[in-house]
Amino acid sequence: MNLSDSKKKLALAGAVCGLVAACLAWFGNPANMAFCIACFIRDTAGALGLHSTETVQYARPEIIGLVSGAFLISVSTKEYCSMSGSSPMTRFVLGMILAIGSLVFLGCPLRMIIRMSAGDLNAWVALIGFILGVGTGAFALKKGFSLGRAHMANRMSGGVLTAVMIGILVLALATTLLKSSESGPGSMHAPVLMSLAGGLLFGVFAQKSRMCFAGSIRDVILMRNFDLLTIIGSFFVVMLIFNVATGRFVPAFDTPGVIAHSEHLWNILGMYAVGFAAVLAGGCPLRQLILAGQGSSDSAVTVLGMFIGAALAHNLGLAASATALNAETQEITAGSVPVNGKAAVIICIIVCFVIAFSNKRNEGK
Amino acid sequence: MKLVVTFHTTADAMAMEKACREQDAPGRLIPVPRVISAGCGLAWCAPLSEREHLGAVMKEYGIEEEALHECMV
Repeated sequence: MNLSDSKKKLALAGAVCGLVAACLAWFGNPANMAFCIACFIRDTAGALGLHSTETVQYARPEIIGLVSGAFLISVSTKEYCSMSGSSPMTRFVLGMILAIGSLVFLGCPLRMIIRMSAGDLNAWVALIGFILGVGTGAFALKKGFSLGRAHMANRMSGGVLTAVMIGILVLALATTLLKSSESGPGSMHAPVLMSLAGGLLFGVFAQKSRMCFAGSIRDVILMRNFDLLTIIGSFFVVMLIFNVATGRFVPAFDTPGVIAHSEHLWNILGMYAVGFAAVLAGGCPLRQLILAGQGSSDSAVTVLGMFIGAALAHNLGLAASATALNAETQEITAGSVPVNGKAAVIICIIVCFVIAFSNKRNEGK
Repeated sequence: MKLVVTFHTTADAMAMEKACREQDAPGRLIPVPRVISAGCGLAWCAPLSEREHLGAVMKEYGIEEEALHECMV
């Protein structure tokens, strides 16, 4: 089925992904975190013991399903293509930036849209930073930025991340080796098989439609092309309907319980770093998982960078804390970004600029 | 039916746009059509009759195409 030959079909793909996210939120995933790539990679990193924050440890089947879904559909449609060799270490660093920026904002671009659809005004503020970040990346592309071309690789190489993901699933289902939160966001999840099925379905539709949050804005800036934005738009509409219908739509800033904070500057700068890094890496965190599933080892390396970045965000105290309600006193404690997190975001943005303007098209040919 | 030129990198596509503007070669940047690739790069779309002209521009500017396609856009 060709999903991209009309805007209606692209909108349908976004709507299906929205339904998947809504179902997972309904059946237990944390509030406004129905389907967050950065949060779920962070949780999976915690399950593997890469960080020790006990409230965010759980091998999220959605991540495993996304990669596996993209792998299965690309193999079955003969689009699987094992490629590698486009500045892998630079991509690793960009992956770290994607995770760190996201965890300062408290969500990847996918979750930003989900939070926006639930009325979280902090996410609307962060959208400003994300658009500016993508715009800066697009400017770098116009100035000749390139990480160099990828080359055909051994056929098995492109499937390694999928195999690793399936290995994590086996460990999660058949052993007690992996850590699993007993409280906090990591303890809140839809049933395993539903999460896995949701991830697979999301992965299939994201691969067929080329869903990408950074790419959608990049294409508007560079080509006035709204195809990818159509997918995001329909995803947003479905989640908006779900949130309004279930009473989860709360248009406010300091809302406790939705895992968000109201430090506007750092919401903007966190997502600025994410938008910038996503354009340089050739896709948002979701797109990196999909590309890795369809055989890109470069994207697989970016995903590994996200795992390490997410782990560091917690081990080094970079991740923001969310606004919370004290159950006993009924006092609201405002969420905040720690000093370490602020410093990390600034460093991430500087690194993005260095990468953007020191990697040129004619190098490495 | 259009001529669609795909490239190994986004930067090559951007260089193609610049070269074509300088040489008054017709066409525009588009997302790589989904029927051609599952990737999300950029391509140059031009009338079929421009094949030789575009080839000359790419040669002059040292731009290497990945492939030339004829497809509906």
